[in-house]
Amino acid sequence: MSSCLLEEVTFHRCCQMLLQQSEQLRDGWSWEPVQGSQEGYLRKTALKSAVISSNPVWDLQGSISDSGSHTSCHSGPDEQGEEKDQSVLVASVDADATNGAIHDDNDGVCMVSEGSSQVLQYEYHIMYSCSYSTPVLYFRASTLEGRSLSLEEMWNSVHPNFRLRLQNSPFTTITQQEHPLLGQPFFMLHPCRTEEFMRPVLQAAQDQHRPLNYVLTWLSVVGPLVGLDVPLKYCTQLHLAASPSRTEPD
Amino acid sequence: PLCPTGNPAFLQFAPFSSALEAGFWHQLTQRKLNDYRLDESPKSIKGYYYNGDSDGLPTRLTLEFSAFDVDGPTPAHCCPAIGTLYNTNTLDAFKTTDKKALLEKEAKEIWDAIQSGAALKDPSVLCRFILLTFADLKKYHFYYWFCFPALCFSEGIKIIQQPSVLEQVFSAKQIIALQEAYDGLCIKSGTTALPYFLMKYKEDTVQLALLGDWETFFLDTKKVTVGVYDPCTLSQYPGWPLRNLLVLLANRWGSKLDQVEVLCFRDRTLQGRRSIQHSVIFQVKLPKLSKNSVCPKSVGWEKNPKGAMGPRMVNLSECMDPKRLAESSVDLNLKLMRWRLVPSLDLDKVVSTKCLLLGAGTLGCNVARTLMGWGVRRITFVDNAKISYSNPVRQPLYEFEDCLGGGKAKAMAAVDRLTKIFPGVNAEGYNMSIPMPGHPVNFSEKLISEHDVVFLLMDTRESRWLPTVIAASKRKLVVNAALGFDTFVVMRHGLKKPPISQTGSVPSIPGSSLFSNIPGHKLGCYFCNDVVAPGDSTRDRTLDQQCTVSRPGLAMIAGALAVEMMVSILQHSEGGYAVASSSDDRMNEPPTSLGLVPHQIRGFLSRFDNVLPASLAFDKCTACSPIVLDHYEREGFNFLSKVFNSSHSFLEDLTGLTLLHQETQAAEVNHALIDTCTNG
Repeated sequence: MSSCLLEEVTFHRCCQMLLQQSEQLRDGWSWEPVQGSQEGYLRKTALKSAVISSNPVWDLQGSISDSGSHTSCHSGPDEQGEEKDQSVLVASVDADATNGAIHDDNDGVCMVSEGSSQVLQYEYHIMYSCSYSTPVLYFRASTLEGRSLSLEEMWNSVHPNFRLRLQNSPFTTITQQEHPLLGQPFFMLHPCRTEEFMRPVLQAAQDQHRPLNYVLTWLSVVGPLVGLDVPLKYCTQLHLAASPSRTEPD
Repeated sequence: PLCPTGNPAFLQFAPFSSALEAGFWHQLTQRKLNDYRLDESPKSIKGYYYNGDSDGLPTRLTLEFSAFDVDGPTPAHCCPAIGTLYNTNTLDAFKTTDKKALLEKEAKEIWDAIQSGAALKDPSVLCRFILLTFADLKKYHFYYWFCFPALCFSEGIKIIQQPSVLEQVFSAKQIIALQEAYDGLCIKSGTTALPYFLMKYKEDTVQLALLGDWETFFLDTKKVTVGVYDPCTLSQYPGWPLRNLLVLLANRWGSKLDQVEVLCFRDRTLQGRRSIQHSVIFQVKLPKLSKNSVCPKSVGWEKNPKGAMGPRMVNLSECMDPKRLAESSVDLNLKLMRWRLVPSLDLDKVVSTKCLLLGAGTLGCNVARTLMGWGVRRITFVDNAKISYSNPVRQPLYEFEDCLGGGKAKAMAAVDRLTKIFPGVNAEGYNMSIPMPGHPVNFSEKLISEHDVVFLLMDTRESRWLPTVIAASKRKLVVNAALGFDTFVVMRHGLKKPPISQTGSVPSIPGSSLFSNIPGHKLGCYFCNDVVAPGDSTRDRTLDQQCTVSRPGLAMIAGALAVEMMVSILQHSEGGYAVASSSDDRMNEPPTSLGLVPHQIRGFLSRFDNVLPASLAFDKCTACSPIVLDHYEREGFNFLSKVFNSSHSFLEDLTGLTLLHQETQAAEVNHALIDTCTNG
């Protein structure tokens, strides 16, 4: 194979294939065009419990057990004073709110202890990098309040054993960058090693005349590093499409 | 039977939890700054909910960056919910907004849509929300409060039969038929999710219809089943969207219906496998609600994380304040080195080092920039010069504008520029002279005490003397850089042992000799190699001698090397006491993760070559010898004024240099001139 680089046209074709499969598998990928431009990106969101989620606590009387539903991620020590001020502020807003005669009568409401702060929203974007001629994975995680996590906090939500392995992985060069299309801070897996690890896979596929969707194969390598699952069905489907005589492997 | 309080069992609903994606707040900020400005009028926004979550996840109503594009697409297999955004201009307005009135207004609109029949045509109006916000864009604090209005029956909804999971009620065939019927109705309606639908089923068939087709679909009302797209994942409770549907049913058909079967439709796909069999079926008794009744009472304001009725606040300064973003990006970029190349790199040691830069000229500017590159936050400049027209091209912290009107003070201009380059820096400037023998004393020892590393970056030899003495006395690490025309020296001064341990015998390092393996505390300073005391070298000189004339690239090279040397020293477990590496060590195992820790780097630009000499401290040194430090420590200012005001030979007499000179001159009669060059 002369080059393991991915041309932009091929990138878009691969994305289209991935989108079709995702639709069948209901995997949640969508194409997000950017207003006023030809460009766009593949996007998927996923929800994950960051900490072991506690069971819902039922309580009809409304005396909810305060399970301390603060995020497990703490900011630096000099932040704490500020945070205290904020809670005082919010408390004063609370007091006013109750003056506003909103009664907490729990009418027909089943009480669930809020596990929301333990839930993280992950957002993944796949874009094409002209400079590296490879796909690039952008991602971020936020709490249900919409606060983006710092990279430290993201690592903290990964199991320690796994974390160490990921951090030593040759592919996990994570940097913070402004999203090229949205202008918001995102993390990205730097594409500088992409060609290196894709080369043997592409070579093998070519030698064995196997069908291969560059973006899908690449995603199956880099996705799991940042908590993005790529169902195996993508690949079995791909092979079925290529060799209809074969029976479904699972 | 389900609730701890027991009979009679009334239906309870899992409320929505608000879920905001990071992009939502970015978008709200943009809208507030560019479109809304001071406009507080209500705005339409759009959220969505999903019925395919894994167990244990909260029932969410999600708003993402696209929330402001009400006509935009909804994510596949999700149901849209239209809401009203009230963004107030002040925190006070946020607090005093009449929440009860907002809820009642929204509830009335839902009620009107039910009564007029508009809700039958577009049932998504049953699932609306209110979002009250205040965006403090100075602090990037966002206050918000969601409300999911639900109309209530005064007496509650009785459960007739325990809820059951679909697969207990339906056969596998029926489940497949239901799934196909649902997908078919979606396609027919041109959508991927239906919030509400009607259902009839027999042993092997399932028929579905839209809510608006009630009259033609249910020819009799003996058994009525309604489906609701249910975002709740709890097996015993339905989600919020069912509430207003039941009110609609009671209002429209309550007179004919006594009980209703509700299918809480849940449809998830895990690892490419779809399932709806975990959907839940409820049998409920429909309360009476006359067609002419007034709008029922409503509930819906979301509780805060403490479980109390109150707003929420999120602090987004970390991810939205450009200054904070710059800081985290700088730090993250540095961490890349640790992840990829130097896992044992101790960045905190570098970043937290407090650096005093004596001189803010060509060397000072380049040292400061390299320090910033390493993420060093605390940088202090001392310089008494003003920026002149010749400076900006060589001194990268200054611009032409800085030279006008007599020129700005360098130390101050350098601080301003550093702060512009990186607001996270903690820079200070002192517009004062660095005293030298023969110059007036105007220098604070305090400055040196307050810093960890002192950079000597002045353009005269003499001005380096006092800081060398003070820093040696205070055991501060000194990094010294000096330029010739095409040669430079970058060196660390020997770091004296702490006074107490110095009295005891210092164990000698095995293999230590005059030029190799010299431990840090035995290394020389800038003055150790000189056999004359510093005088006023700028006196009686022509202009070209007073100005530093050097090849323009030299200061950048030397400035960068000075900082890199400091970083290497900091990475050594013994810091300034580290044994000096020499040129010969280039092939050996390096002492730190970053490599060698030399005593000196001497560079020769004409040959594009560096050497790494090391030399011992000189016991008659005019700056760091024990007798000078002893006098300075005992007499302090008196000693300094004696040095500065007495004749040139005072220091030479004190240290014994005068005697040495006399001996040398005597020896010269018989011997060749002693080569005082130390780089061997």
